[in-house]
Amino acid sequence: MSQADLSVPFRQRAGSAMKDAFLQEALTIATTKFIGLRREAFGDFPEGEKLRDVAREIKEATLQHLDRYLEQLIDNVERLGGKVHFASTAAEARGVILEIGRRAGARMAVKSKSMATEEIHLNEALEQAGITPVETDLGEYIIQLAHERPSHIIAPAIHKTKGQVADLFAKELRRTVAADPEVLTKIARGELREKFLQADLGITGANFAIADTGTIVLVTNEGNGRMVTSLPRVHVAVMGVEKVVPSMTDLMVFLAILAKSATGQKLSVYTTFVQGPRRAGELEGPEELHLVLLDNGRINQLAGPLREALYCLRCGACLNVCPVYRQIGGHAYGHTYPGPIGILLTAMLSGPASVKELAHASSLCGACAEACPVRIDIPRMLIELRREVDETKIAPRTERAVFKAFGRLLTRPVLYRLAARIARLLQRPFVRDGAIRSLPLFFGDWTRTRDLPAVAPRTFHERWKELAREAPP
Amino acid sequence: MTTREEFMARIRAEMGKTRGLFPATPATRPEYPREEAEAIRAQLAERWPEALERFRREFEKVGGVFHRVPTLTEVPQVVTGIARAREARRLVSWHPSQLGADLGQALAARGLTPLPMPPGEATNPTERARLRQLAASAELGLTGVDLAIAETGTLVLRSGAGRPRSTSLLPAYHIAVFDRTALVESLAQVGVFLELWHADGATEDRGAVISFITGPSRTADIELTLTRGVHGPKEVHVIFVEREIRG
Repeated sequence: MSQADLSVPFRQRAGSAMKDAFLQEALTIATTKFIGLRREAFGDFPEGEKLRDVAREIKEATLQHLDRYLEQLIDNVERLGGKVHFASTAAEARGVILEIGRRAGARMAVKSKSMATEEIHLNEALEQAGITPVETDLGEYIIQLAHERPSHIIAPAIHKTKGQVADLFAKELRRTVAADPEVLTKIARGELREKFLQADLGITGANFAIADTGTIVLVTNEGNGRMVTSLPRVHVAVMGVEKVVPSMTDLMVFLAILAKSATGQKLSVYTTFVQGPRRAGELEGPEELHLVLLDNGRINQLAGPLREALYCLRCGACLNVCPVYRQIGGHAYGHTYPGPIGILLTAMLSGPASVKELAHASSLCGACAEACPVRIDIPRMLIELRREVDETKIAPRTERAVFKAFGRLLTRPVLYRLAARIARLLQRPFVRDGAIRSLPLFFGDWTRTRDLPAVAPRTFHERWKELAREAPP
Repeated sequence: MTTREEFMARIRAEMGKTRGLFPATPATRPEYPREEAEAIRAQLAERWPEALERFRREFEKVGGVFHRVPTLTEVPQVVTGIARAREARRLVSWHPSQLGADLGQALAARGLTPLPMPPGEATNPTERARLRQLAASAELGLTGVDLAIAETGTLVLRSGAGRPRSTSLLPAYHIAVFDRTALVESLAQVGVFLELWHADGATEDRGAVISFITGPSRTADIELTLTRGVHGPKEVHVIFVEREIRG
């Protein structure tokens, strides 16, 4: 499927993803491969578990003094000759970047992969302003040609076959070539090399920024991050405020676990430290460097229920292990950030009402928290989101009524015991092998995709009473 | 437009509402990075053969090609060998002052075409554009190495005068020359050097970029098929020189 249409309910989007046989296969292959690579990488790295704890602590420590580290970062970036901008909303961030582009007289912008620029829907805005945005990460380039959005944080085009890519290149680039990844990659190299050399504006995100030194850190495998920060005359980096880390020493901890979690590499091929615009004596490098610090809902969560989601490194590990993501892929989520962490980030950026369906798109199995390099307790926050969705009466009325009744039942022992007895009677026609496999009326929605355990012949309370009679203390 | 003051005030207001999730401190930084860096160098002066072996193993795992020669004199021979097998001739290089040797004549004598690059910045935009085209037309890029990380098979290169960023980026074949003084064992040790490079503003006499390079440019964006050389070099070679280059 291509772009998710948010006017279609999530259930339906997920349903069509599950009927897409190619997508299903691609998802299984990709996520299984990533899981294996990650496991192997940490298997060879006994200190990894300890480093994950350290990394988590650094993230928390940074948030506790976020003002201090950001002030330091801003001062240092400016000392090195960069300019720092502040954007409270996505619209403001777009405005800032367009203004920079306009002043530079830019007609083309080359971009390295950045979820932050996806989040603020920068490409459409650039196009409207007459600046052609060119995505240079191969996966992003492919989906840009196809007018789609990324389906995975680190592998944006996993939903496409090589045949589809070849067709796309034939149609959009008028280059008819074999459906061979090697050949297709070579075509893209040639096309994009020209753009790198022509573009006036280079736009990146930032994986980290180091407060102590004013360094913007980019992690890529293809080298496009280096191109974009070396060749165009102006470099703009867009960064969520939570990406700041105190020092180079802290950065090393994150580098040691980031690529292992994402792709199973010990390090990604390129880690690029950018410290201001081109310096005296240097042949290349931008004349201007701009850092756009982005709020867009993040600051609200510093003391909010989603604070822990601000630790996220955007590695994608939680997507690969999530039984829901593995079934429906990234597009069905319908927002910039897919997967378990994506639900939390969507709630952060667009408010809890935007995830009233998605908050339930999780089995709460905990695999995401286990895979997360900084051990973000995603299930806990999903449960809180569900509660919030319920309390703010965003959930459907029947659902709220059922849960309210159930809540009453659980807090009144007499009622509970009575209900258990009644349920035992009522369930009789439906129980087979200790489970209820199908129910009539609207209850059938529940049992269509899962079994309901039957009420036991004797409840724990009843058995306890019997035991107490048989063996008095 | 949100100002710095407004933006930071928002952050402080929200921070004031919580003490965070648990007591936490960032990583402990080296108190005396210079002394610690010297201690690492001293250790490596003893342990370099093990570190080199580990570097070779990791570097080859990420797709690098390792060469070893006794002295700088043999470097042009290896470079020419790599070039011939790939029918490549045009070469850009770090400036001799940064490389630690002037190999231009020796390479030219062996049939390569070294492209002349200035020791510093271009004097005007036209010249800059011309030099960029020149660098983009090269097939081989010859650089030095500031640090070689054994744990990950990574090369650390600092940009600067006579050290164009493009030398290790635009050509299809990147060849890096280093000796035992560049070797470090771990990312944690690199952290010490990075702290040292930035202590007391010491970095300002250098270029604006530090690059960690771990093998050739790669992608797996089409059906997860590993493909090399998507934007950066498709091959990365290192030549380890046994006798110290600046001995």
